[in-house]
Amino acid sequence: MENRKGVILNIGPVHPATHGVLRLIADLEGDTIENIKVDIGFLHRGKEKLAEMRYFSNYYPIVDKLDYVSALQMEILFGSVVEKAAGITLPPRAVYIRMIMAEIQRIMSHLVFIGSFGMDVGNYTGFIWAFREREELMTIVESVSGGRLAPMYICNGGTFYDLPENFNQALTPVLDDIEKKINKDYRALFNDNNIFVMRTKGVGVINKSTVIENGITGPNMRAAGIKRDLRRDEPYLAYESMDFEIPTEESGDSYSRFIIRIKEIIESIKIIRQALKNIPTGPYKTSVPWLLKIPEKQTFVRQEVSKGEMAMYMVTNGGLTPYRLKIRSPTFFSLKMLEKILKGSKIADIVAVVASLDPVMGEVDR
Amino acid sequence: MFSYVYGVLSRFFSAPADLIVTLIVMLLVPLTLVAIIPVIIGWVDRKYGARIQSRWGPTYVGPFGILQNVADVIKLIGKRVITTNVDRLSYSFVPIALTAASFLIVVLIPWGAPGLYILDIPYNLLFIYVLMAVSPLLILLAGWSENNKYSIIGGFRGATQIATYELTLIITILSVAMLSGSYNISDIVASQKHLWYVVYLPITFLMFVVAGYAVIERDPFDIPEATQELLAGWKIEYSGLRYGMFLLSDYIKMFALSMLTVYLFFGGWNGPLLPAFAWFWIKTIIAMMILLTPRWVYPRLRIDQLVKFGWNWMLPLSILNLLVVGAVLLV
Amino acid sequence: MTSELVEKLKSGLKGNITVISDDGVNDVVVLSDKKLIKSAAELIKGTHDILFMLTIVDRNPNFELNYLFSNYRNKNIIILRVNITQDDYKIDTVSKVFPSADWEEREAYDLFGIEFKGHPDLRRILLPEDWPGHPLRKDFEVTDDVRNWTGLDLKF
Repeated sequence: MENRKGVILNIGPVHPATHGVLRLIADLEGDTIENIKVDIGFLHRGKEKLAEMRYFSNYYPIVDKLDYVSALQMEILFGSVVEKAAGITLPPRAVYIRMIMAEIQRIMSHLVFIGSFGMDVGNYTGFIWAFREREELMTIVESVSGGRLAPMYICNGGTFYDLPENFNQALTPVLDDIEKKINKDYRALFNDNNIFVMRTKGVGVINKSTVIENGITGPNMRAAGIKRDLRRDEPYLAYESMDFEIPTEESGDSYSRFIIRIKEIIESIKIIRQALKNIPTGPYKTSVPWLLKIPEKQTFVRQEVSKGEMAMYMVTNGGLTPYRLKIRSPTFFSLKMLEKILKGSKIADIVAVVASLDPVMGEVDR
Repeated sequence: MFSYVYGVLSRFFSAPADLIVTLIVMLLVPLTLVAIIPVIIGWVDRKYGARIQSRWGPTYVGPFGILQNVADVIKLIGKRVITTNVDRLSYSFVPIALTAASFLIVVLIPWGAPGLYILDIPYNLLFIYVLMAVSPLLILLAGWSENNKYSIIGGFRGATQIATYELTLIITILSVAMLSGSYNISDIVASQKHLWYVVYLPITFLMFVVAGYAVIERDPFDIPEATQELLAGWKIEYSGLRYGMFLLSDYIKMFALSMLTVYLFFGGWNGPLLPAFAWFWIKTIIAMMILLTPRWVYPRLRIDQLVKFGWNWMLPLSILNLLVVGAVLLV
Repeated sequence: MTSELVEKLKSGLKGNITVISDDGVNDVVVLSDKKLIKSAAELIKGTHDILFMLTIVDRNPNFELNYLFSNYRNKNIIILRVNITQDDYKIDTVSKVFPSADWEEREAYDLFGIEFKGHPDLRRILLPEDWPGHPLRKDFEVTDDVRNWTGLDLKF
């Protein structure tokens, strides 16, 4: 250590490009990374412990803050765990509402990704544009649930409220607008932008074997060419009756991880359109007692959230609260990889690669 | 001493009427310009960028927010400077030196009409180039003086980048100088009376813009201060008025680059019908708007890509270009 | 319907397992001895790709470890359940067999204080190095040590 020529650069936990509070300790030789260490845990709030102290209906506001850019998906996941454990069946309308909201949230999360990825490679306009489009969806979510970032919309047995009356008329133009902008404006700003392609193509390659070794899931996995999506392979909600593609790319670099997300937004728009057409009428929730008692059992549910395969493993012992709730965070598995894939690259690549993995520290640290 | 200064000055001024008036003009006019240009360009830049990003930009301070930058400068002046373990001398010296350089650019550059100089010297193009490119050493010094890892990395990046692109910049300028046979901007403009040099030297023009961009460190070549990677690179420990000085000199360099583009490649103040002054400013504003755009559209390059591009493509191409210009002139 | 994997485990581990459910998709297998975890993991390696999650349940004073393995080809999962008793909170690591277990085991070590023998880099991951106690244990109490913890003693 004493005879080293380079410097040790501490990137984060407070740094504009670490998406919250990720800390990277880079061992530099000039501008090149010799070695890098990942340090997480700066946003650890003990959510698994908190679950043990909350009723099943009172834990929703806390799962909201797990992955705070796709909060509704977190709520839906926890709702599914509780409902599977308690044996509650959802009314069909609630299933469709949840699916629509999950897909809206997926688009929002991917837009945040596009924005922050653009920002991190130095393109401010991409950031503002993506957030402009996200804002339109935010307004929709707000009109549905009353909340924007942490909506608190899902409850045991369905949703808190029905969809508002003019939901369809409000959502359709927004989706059209986003689709049009993705195909035109974003293509010009990112896909056809030479410098953007130079910065991302061939950077931070995660190949198939690395994916399988480390348990990476979600868009990062699909970018490496593995065609797997829980919405298709293990259908939950009403995804079985939806018609959509699973986009895959072959190269596994930052650029393909970006393209995957762009394509997934288009697919999500497709799903929402179909769901809006087929949404059944009827009740939007079943009556479930506020204080729920779940007999002794172990329940495992996994769903495809915007970051990958998120899972919850709930152990109950007949009480009013979970005995133990384990949350599997998809980004937790992909962050470990940074140590491997960043070795030998430049400082600027740290930022591009970290952003391309789309980490949200709330979900990693739990 | 005074008589010596007067003697020097009288050599430059055709009618040295009054020494004090001359000195006042020489000091106050550039000072005012140095103060006003960044305010206006900063406002244009912010408004323009905001409209590209579907925002409104500054709106509150003054009509259309035009005084926003004045307010920002006042805020910067009022700020306390907090530093730890900096090398005080070099830390304070760098912003002053950079501002002085941009001050001299304002003094030396012609202002849009034949003979409208603050100071006319025969080799003003070369001088302006030197002033724009003086920074690698200063940046390295700033990066070192701040005693911060991010700043020293930024300093080395800045020195590497500017040293790479300075060569291309001077060689492209040399091509223009060879074609016109002079290092004086007025002569270069005069020799473009019939045809702009951009027609003769399109590749030189492109290389000049790219190299100029890299030398003045504007996005997408702001690698030394890369906000997302190095926070602010070599500027990281600067705050208050010293930071304001950097902003000031950045905007002046930006402005000088668009003026030089017009002078060297687009015929300066030459043009039919309208007066020379109007032609020049119309051209400069168009050039400036075009030069302001890349910042809002392109992401930042990586340092190794930029340097490789500089040594592998820009420099050989510019030398080749110079040789071709020389050969054509000989024939 | 007994899945092939459960059969393989049965023969490979000489019957030291109890099968709770084996529908071929959600197999739950309880190992009788914690020493078997490594050989069980090696048997699973062929059919499953990753350690999907490692859930530890504090059955005071014992711990129940649920290793959940998953793969990229189909939706089959298998849950290996191991109990470790209070005399020794130690178990062999599976991170050599499944590299994806690396951080999961570190997290378990951090929050429950279970030591994984042979783990290449067993440090705390979510909490600071000098945090007193293991907060996800049922007997964790907020003591004065926790209350007065500042993190200032930590060397970076």
